[in-house]
Amino acid sequence: MKKLKTSLLALLAMASVLTAKSQTLDEIIDKNIAAMGGKDKLLALNTLTMEGSLSMNGQSLAVKVAQANNKGSRIDITVNGIDNFIIQTKDSGWTFFPIQGQTKAEATPPTVVKENVDALDIQSVLLNYKEKGHTVELVGKDDVDGTECFKIKVVTKSGMQQTFFIDPSNYYIIKVVTKTKANGQEQEQAQAFSNFKKLDNGYVFPLSLTGFGPGELKITKVDVNPTLDQSIFKPSN
Amino acid sequence: MKKLFCSLTVLSIFANVYAQTKITSATFGMLDARWLGPGTMSGRITAIEGVNEDGKTIYVGSAGGGIWKTTNGGASFKPIFDKYCQSIGAIAIDQKNPKILYVGTGESNMRNSVSIGDGLYKSTDAGDNWTKIGMDSTEHISKILVDPQNSNTVYVAVPGPLWSDSKHRGLYKSTDAGKTWEKILYINEKAGCADISIDPSNTNIIYATTWEFRRMPYLFNSGGQGSGIYKSADAGKTWKELKNGLPIKPFGRVALALAPSSPNNLLAIVEAKETGLYISSDGGENWKQQSATSNITARPFYFSVIKVDPNDPKRVYRPAFAFSYSDDGGYSFTDASGDGGWVHSDMHALWINPKNTSQLYVGTDGGVYISLDRGGTWMFLQNLPVGQFYHVAVDNVDPYRIYGGLQDNGSWVAPSAAPGGVGNANWLALYGGDGFWVQPDPLDSNIAYAESQGGSVGRIDIKTTKSVNIQPQGAQNEGKLRWNWNTPIVIGAKNKSDLYMGAQYLYKSTDKGSNWTRISPDLTTNDKLKQQQDSSGGLSADNTSAENHCTIFTIAESPLDESLIFAGTDDGNLQISNDAGKTWVNVSHNYVAAGIPAQTWVSSIEPSHFNKDILYATFDNHMYGDHKTYLGKSIDGGKTWTMIKSTEFTGFAHKIKEDIVNKNLLFLGTEMGLFATVDGGENWFRMKNHIPDYALVRDIQIHPKTNDLILATHGRGIIVVDDITPMRNLTKEIIDKDVVLFDNKPITLTMGKWGDGGFPSTGGWNGGNPPSIDPIEYYFKERMSSGDVAVEVYDASGKLVQTVPGSKRKGVNKVYWNLRMTPPKVASGGTKADFGSFSAPMVLPGDYTVKLKTGDKEYTKQIKLVHDYSNPNFTIVQREAQYKTATDLYHLHEQLASVVDDINNNQKMLKENVGKVKSDKVKKLLKEYDAKLEILRETLLASKQKSQFADEQKLRERISDVYVAVCNQEAAPSNLQTQRVGVLQQEVQKAAQDNIALNNQYAIKVKQALIKEGLLKDDKSTIENKKGN
Repeated sequence: MKKLKTSLLALLAMASVLTAKSQTLDEIIDKNIAAMGGKDKLLALNTLTMEGSLSMNGQSLAVKVAQANNKGSRIDITVNGIDNFIIQTKDSGWTFFPIQGQTKAEATPPTVVKENVDALDIQSVLLNYKEKGHTVELVGKDDVDGTECFKIKVVTKSGMQQTFFIDPSNYYIIKVVTKTKANGQEQEQAQAFSNFKKLDNGYVFPLSLTGFGPGELKITKVDVNPTLDQSIFKPSN
Repeated sequence: MKKLFCSLTVLSIFANVYAQTKITSATFGMLDARWLGPGTMSGRITAIEGVNEDGKTIYVGSAGGGIWKTTNGGASFKPIFDKYCQSIGAIAIDQKNPKILYVGTGESNMRNSVSIGDGLYKSTDAGDNWTKIGMDSTEHISKILVDPQNSNTVYVAVPGPLWSDSKHRGLYKSTDAGKTWEKILYINEKAGCADISIDPSNTNIIYATTWEFRRMPYLFNSGGQGSGIYKSADAGKTWKELKNGLPIKPFGRVALALAPSSPNNLLAIVEAKETGLYISSDGGENWKQQSATSNITARPFYFSVIKVDPNDPKRVYRPAFAFSYSDDGGYSFTDASGDGGWVHSDMHALWINPKNTSQLYVGTDGGVYISLDRGGTWMFLQNLPVGQFYHVAVDNVDPYRIYGGLQDNGSWVAPSAAPGGVGNANWLALYGGDGFWVQPDPLDSNIAYAESQGGSVGRIDIKTTKSVNIQPQGAQNEGKLRWNWNTPIVIGAKNKSDLYMGAQYLYKSTDKGSNWTRISPDLTTNDKLKQQQDSSGGLSADNTSAENHCTIFTIAESPLDESLIFAGTDDGNLQISNDAGKTWVNVSHNYVAAGIPAQTWVSSIEPSHFNKDILYATFDNHMYGDHKTYLGKSIDGGKTWTMIKSTEFTGFAHKIKEDIVNKNLLFLGTEMGLFATVDGGENWFRMKNHIPDYALVRDIQIHPKTNDLILATHGRGIIVVDDITPMRNLTKEIIDKDVVLFDNKPITLTMGKWGDGGFPSTGGWNGGNPPSIDPIEYYFKERMSSGDVAVEVYDASGKLVQTVPGSKRKGVNKVYWNLRMTPPKVASGGTKADFGSFSAPMVLPGDYTVKLKTGDKEYTKQIKLVHDYSNPNFTIVQREAQYKTATDLYHLHEQLASVVDDINNNQKMLKENVGKVKSDKVKKLLKEYDAKLEILRETLLASKQKSQFADEQKLRERISDVYVAVCNQEAAPSNLQTQRVGVLQQEVQKAAQDNIALNNQYAIKVKQALIKEGLLKDDKSTIENKKGN
């Protein structure tokens, strides 16, 4: 009898562990921040450069990303030795794709720049979201490629609407859907993240990204807080 | 210690239970369905609401296809309600905050085939996310109204259940934006609330109509003392019935409209003994009948909309059988012109843009139309695939064709694949009326059998669509033949020349319907009380064969024995003949003994493909108010039955389908979802796989050659899950492993079945094509979050052919290698991208090795690539010739790239140093060398014309020109293509020699000069005399 009682107690204890505890939005976000290296680390993230390649029909295109927190972002893609770039800052944006026949950088429409200004936050939109003035809501769970994820909806101060899908097994953001409305067109873009890796410096980054181009973007090199020449955030032509 | 052991034992048992991998639709992750539509014939639209402030954000609710949203006035739509009940009754937008939406599920056009809802939903983010907020048992919701002055006040009109009495009927009100509800108008269990209008200038004034109605499987009644028109002047606290000038009760359904710009003006179409149009100009206190055409008053239970222009009280719209409008407040009406093309009849929804009242959207039984001239003419939106199929069938041509009949919209056929994807133009209308069963003749690919309602069946020449009526006729003393609305036409599963049709008797033809033999007595209950359709309709006669009863509803011939025939009726009989119809046994008592109600519709019978004694059947009892899922199985030829249950099931059952390869793989289609089991019915899961969670799945087929799962949905058209082989092969041993790289069947080397036609689609719906290349498949027990995933392919010599990024999802993954080499490195630089760098020769047939790399682990399988012998225009010899030419050109690109790299490096060095040198002479030397290199470079790649419209061609482009062509042709290279290789080889060789000559001329001099200037160390030079590139 005693044996049975003990067994049942153990069962109860186990059940309480296995029963999914309803988690609050802030608990989930805290765990996500911790999974990405922790709050202190992210708050200390001021600049970032990444190098990698985009795969297209088996061809590999070199990609370089440079970001300065809340200041600017630049992506360079080299195709057949020809450099193309996209620049975004707080008040301007530029696109230059000579492979598509562009002869000089073209300005991004101001409404698009304005809407995307919060995308310059490289520390994480979710970090200190209240102080940043974003509206964040846990809207339940949803399936991402077979994984039932926490679904968190964010409307940033600049009006960018993003839905984050967080894998409950590791608290990584594995998918982001961004909805934009600039220029009177409602558009949705989805990006997926995987191959999360903890670097020696304690930061965690996804080294595989899709939805940024025609194929998978593989990151091969990450530099945290490098010195960035701010002139890279202006077009050279 | 003992205690601890005991606890650990329990813990381990518990852990084991949880460790077992549960099979769900996610397990078959990459099996994403295609939605074939059609868009050219859409489906019944039940609600249209637009955002007043922008006039282009519009929500369209459908009878069985959920909600579709456009943010561009209809140029494109996307479904936004695919996780929920697909039958939509009403949509409302809080125009003060248009991100707030309310949706009532369960349409209220109470026809025989109407679906049911499961409550009321709310979104606060313009439809991205939804929360159910109650009214779970209402079944049908006809209208939702948000107080235009107070967003917290919401009214919901609930007609309630069609097939049973209910206390859930009535008018509901919320004063806290949907958190709580109060029923503010209730008549009785038979009469609900059908319509509501609010006075925008004084929102305390509300008008509501009530409606008494009921369907039985064999009768419809619209009308009763419970129907009426009511008015409240205190926001629903008290009501008075409006009577002055209205006809004598009983009423049936009443369509009510209020002129928003002059709210005392009301119009009502009152179904009564003599249905009429009534007009009031004093807020409903007094009414006057107005003469009206039949379009205004016809079929009130089905056409319940009348609307007044938001700004013009005289402009009245009546979308009904046709579209009528009035410019004098309803005293006279005109019908819309047909100049914009045919407009589908049977209209149920209308939205008028209040900021531009010329812009109208009308919802019909065949989709949405837009008018820009106040309803005078209409344009059809061809991008809403919400057709309501009853059944689906497939043939064996390549690509196979899909046949089906649409609610109110005839019988159709389309190929399962087509150049550019299966688009609207690929659909062919075969037969008119309402469509149900369509059967291709398995022995003559130019013949199909299709019907309209009540068994009017034709044999159709598919090429011409000419048809011959082959409906069996009654013989002497047989009485009137009773044909179901949805009469079964079935081809023999064993003997393909057998054609069956059922009235109350079963008929068989073996000569394509030219001659028929009755092979049964009356197989129904022949209950005379259920055969009084002549009095169906209630106040308005409505007897369109939809209520025909005591009929055969489903027929099946055993795939193992043509003498074994099954017939299920709409009144509960399941009859079996073991002797091709000579004798029959009714086994209805046997299934009733298993707990399945008597009198149900036997909705499908599935004799097993593996054992004559095994059969499955579905039973539909919703017409008696019972929505449970009834699925039965017999393993003794129908003598005894077991009811198969699952907590996963939702919705009444339409179709059970046994796989034709794996006897344990079963599919169940219900009014609310598609379910599957891989263990013979012990465990079921809801199939999502890009299928709406609660899709109305009426019929299911599995194609014997392609292994595709084909669904007839009643609201989302035809849905195809391409190649369900992974569902057949996934064993328990596999699913408990972390990673499994599957054995690959030989992959056929092909560039696909179709060309691209050169132009993208210009709109309309397109259901795409199945993948043209077989995938490499593997299984992950869990999503791969850490570590890279890639698939590497090696040839027989061990050389890496290509690395393909791997997907990382939980369950089955599919990776499509394009069967080609890694593209060449082409000459770098110039002014435009070179397409040659994205093209590669297709590899040759042979044995290859596939390596799946996941982090630091590696899984290896062999794979065989085989020549496509089905293509007579591309022999293996021609393939080898094509491969040789393509690889020759591939190498030319890489050789040229090497020369250009050398030039680029030297030019870079020269440019870096020219500003640093002090000597003018050296500077001149550097510039001269650079200029000579540039002259050479400009001959090697396009570098002058900076425009996408410039067609500058230099050596790189000339190579690509023929290289891309040869790589992408399934043909041997032509004589001139082959000759061209030789020409280009000489040019590349010359380029290399010119580069060497320049280096010989300048390199040493430049090197010495730079050493002298101190810009270069003596022992390290970047300028080398490259001998041959």
